[in-house]
Amino acid sequence: MEHVDELISGYALHGLDAADERLVLEHVETCERCRVQLREMEAVAAALAFAAPQAEPPPELRDRLLEAIGPEVVPSAPPEAPPERRARWSWWPRFSAVAVPVLGVAVIALAVWNISLRGDVKDADVRSVAPIANVGSVVSFSGGQATVFGGLKPAPADHTYEAWVIPKGETVPQAAGTFAGGNDMSFTLTRNASAGDTIVITLEPGTGGSAPKGPVVGKTSI
Amino acid sequence: MYGGAAYALALRIVRDRELAADVVQDAFLTVWRQASKFDPARGQPSSWILTLTHHKAVDTVRREQRRRAEALDEARESVDPAPAVEQQAWQSVARDQVRSAMAKLPDPHREVLELAYFAGYTQSELAERLALPIGTVKSRTFAAMTALRELLAQSGLNPEHEWNTSTS
Repeated sequence: MEHVDELISGYALHGLDAADERLVLEHVETCERCRVQLREMEAVAAALAFAAPQAEPPPELRDRLLEAIGPEVVPSAPPEAPPERRARWSWWPRFSAVAVPVLGVAVIALAVWNISLRGDVKDADVRSVAPIANVGSVVSFSGGQATVFGGLKPAPADHTYEAWVIPKGETVPQAAGTFAGGNDMSFTLTRNASAGDTIVITLEPGTGGSAPKGPVVGKTSI
Repeated sequence: MYGGAAYALALRIVRDRELAADVVQDAFLTVWRQASKFDPARGQPSSWILTLTHHKAVDTVRREQRRRAEALDEARESVDPAPAVEQQAWQSVARDQVRSAMAKLPDPHREVLELAYFAGYTQSELAERLALPIGTVKSRTFAAMTALRELLAQSGLNPEHEWNTSTS
């Protein structure tokens, strides 16, 4: 079998004419060696992206993207989604209601997009995305940061939502910050979490505290 | 991470902020629509997203031939000085290492990569522009990509295993 090494480099750079492109695609269908080569070259080509000069996405781009995605998400939304989470930006809970592996890439991409724009994650390698019932999704990062995305009815007067981390193998929740809720909410825990830890969201009276007193709103393991 | 890098890439190629935003939106919508087709065994999500962005940006610039004229001269200019999102250490490390690797390539190798990747030249167009046989363009591109892969590996980056350029 004649391999197509040279064409693979051009393919990875999106620089082949149609005939050569077809040749590569047909060849890698049956050649494991060239399939591996293609994957490697595509990764090298993707690395070239980092040689581009710095540029900050316009703030409205994220909103445009969410608007474009929003209508496509609605048809697959779970029918049981409570009304307060049907507002335009409340699409995170819908993700969590769908099989995460299926949508994992989009969830991760958009989560990291969200987070990177806020600039509050230094080491943004996504470790996991876990649905958290009634709230949305928890995206955890290899640096230990964890961010809750979702939609929650704003906390009632004199109440606040509070996040807790229960380390794997332990039973005592550790306070991880308070937040007000709302649609299109995202909240980065003030305490790092590791794989296997449990994240709990409760509704606390007053301004919260160091031990949970209120009802559990959502809970998941990361 | 992906959003910032994707936008920077798109802007470098199409050289127009509005078009770049369109390209990124289109790429992320494709990610959204085709997420179920993504096979992690075939590559990392970041590679996929940046590849999609690159393809869409190149397709756009090919439709807008007039932008070709300003392809390389401004390649190394900074478009935005130190935007907040780009201050993240990991991305600076990735940028430094990729640029350093590019700088170590022989000029002819760097030239074909820059023209192909950032200016969207096809191999046939490269042959015409550089007055080289198409076979030479193909072998030079292959040599350039292979050398770049080695240089990135030497610098501690393995493009195939995501951009784990942790600074910790």
